[in-house]
Amino acid sequence: MTATASKSPAACGPCAAGLLCDGKAGKIVKDGVWANNPISIQVLGICSALAVTNKLANALVMGGALIFVTACSSLFLSFLRNATPRKIRMIAEVAIISTFVIVFDQLLRAFYWDMSKQLGPYVGLIITNCIVMGRAEAFALQNRPIASALDGIANGLGYAIVLAVIAVFREMIGAGKLLGFSILDKVWYEPNQLMILAPGAFFTLGILIALLNALRKDVPETKP
Amino acid sequence: MKLLERLLDRTRGAFAEGKRLHRTKPVFDAAENFFFAPISRAKSAPFVHDPLDIKRLMSMVIIAILPALACAVYFFGLHVLAMVVVSYAAGGIVEVLFAVVRKEEINEGFLVTGMLFPLILPPALPLWMVAVGVMFGVLVGKELFGGTGRNLFNPALVGRVFLALAYPAAMAGNWISPVAEPPGRILQYVSSGAVDAIAGATPLAAAKQGQLAGLQEMFLGNVAGSAGETSALAILLGGILLIMTRVASWRIVVGVLGSFLLMETVLHYTLPGPIPPPMWQLLAGGILFGAFFMATDPVTSPATTGGKWAYAIIIGLATALIRHLTGYVEGVMFAILLGNICAPLLDEVAVAVRLRRLAHES
Repeated sequence: MTATASKSPAACGPCAAGLLCDGKAGKIVKDGVWANNPISIQVLGICSALAVTNKLANALVMGGALIFVTACSSLFLSFLRNATPRKIRMIAEVAIISTFVIVFDQLLRAFYWDMSKQLGPYVGLIITNCIVMGRAEAFALQNRPIASALDGIANGLGYAIVLAVIAVFREMIGAGKLLGFSILDKVWYEPNQLMILAPGAFFTLGILIALLNALRKDVPETKP
Repeated sequence: MKLLERLLDRTRGAFAEGKRLHRTKPVFDAAENFFFAPISRAKSAPFVHDPLDIKRLMSMVIIAILPALACAVYFFGLHVLAMVVVSYAAGGIVEVLFAVVRKEEINEGFLVTGMLFPLILPPALPLWMVAVGVMFGVLVGKELFGGTGRNLFNPALVGRVFLALAYPAAMAGNWISPVAEPPGRILQYVSSGAVDAIAGATPLAAAKQGQLAGLQEMFLGNVAGSAGETSALAILLGGILLIMTRVASWRIVVGVLGSFLLMETVLHYTLPGPIPPPMWQLLAGGILFGAFFMATDPVTSPATTGGKWAYAIIIGLATALIRHLTGYVEGVMFAILLGNICAPLLDEVAVAVRLRRLAHES
């Protein structure tokens, strides 16, 4: 994924002559969301993925936060990529990333206090999220700003989708609800409280990754 | 037998390569295996020397459980039998499904899991919970690791821990008070709907309120508790059979019970008020059932002698500590799972120590 700026970009969809993202928009999005999905393939950002997926609403907000932070930090890091001395790039990355995390955290506190309380420290912990740092190191420092921003959005989206899928299963089985509305527990249903607890997240994520690997043809399977 | 043989021979063709029923060949193999001699060698643990094979080994465990099952039915009623049937049916579906998909044989190991699982549950648990628990136990505890012989954890205990975390209220409330006068509850069917009228507290739970059940009651089985753990006498009968036939390792049983008693003695004499005496502890709860039937599982326990002792001591100590120093009433389930995690490592250490000693001597 260490793509370098190509000399002669091909035309690409909506952006004029593909100049802005070097004609790789399709590949960038596909990589981030599916082929190199940060959670299901790279298994990054697991801590928050396990912690906030007990309710779908929490997972969606967390996914949105990560899309916002990754996109913005990749964009600005890419702007500054030629001005940043290599030796202190980590500090620069952390400074920029934490700026956007704090902005999002403060917005959440100001307007959605309940949600902020439920997510607890996990919004703040996006600063140390491997996905954000990983995209900065692996992509934004070598690519142009718009392409980097797109890469950030795609990876954030990949993270958000997996979180939402896990959360749907956990909230549905664990509480019989979805986004707080009664679905299963309207009829007879005994909530499986394990799914709300941390082990439920491990089982759901493990089974999800196993299924995705089974779907993907390029993962070699060896029988013991 | 002749008739059966002819029937199997006649239907064999329908399961041959390329025929319509070939996909379900494991079912046929299992049926043939069950009635006649096994046709293959064991490739993974549990290894057993002649004349025992896995099937005989597992049959011996089933025979050894029968006294405990009989006691459970006598004291708690026919619902226990229904739980056994559901456990076999639901777990069997998962087992057959995996055997067909993997094109492997159906393994006799499940006969033991399917029997042990309902016996470590509260005797009035709803049947659908039994089904969910055993399916989870077999699927996650065994099949995902590669099937019999490759599992890290005891599948029955994985199923129980799943139920205990998923449905804590049901798992803590479906105890039945036993009836000792003949014919016991043997003609009754007490399910979770009717349990409120005759609910009983387990000895360990009652002890936290300061009420100690009598030793004789607990020895014979006239106390509330998980279906199979109620009668110490029945467990000892089956357990001694297992040890005499060398299906269960005496080292593990002695190690678990010995270290458990030692720890209980220490705890009792440091805090005699809240902690009942060690012999009482031995008869209460699931420590006997766990030591004889769950900890000795040849797949999930260490294979080396040194490993077995260490494993048993971990389980015994952990059980006593969890019983008294945590919010849980009983600790056998977690202790054995903890021992299971350590088992491969203990084997590795035991082998390394042995090798080093050999190198030193020569």
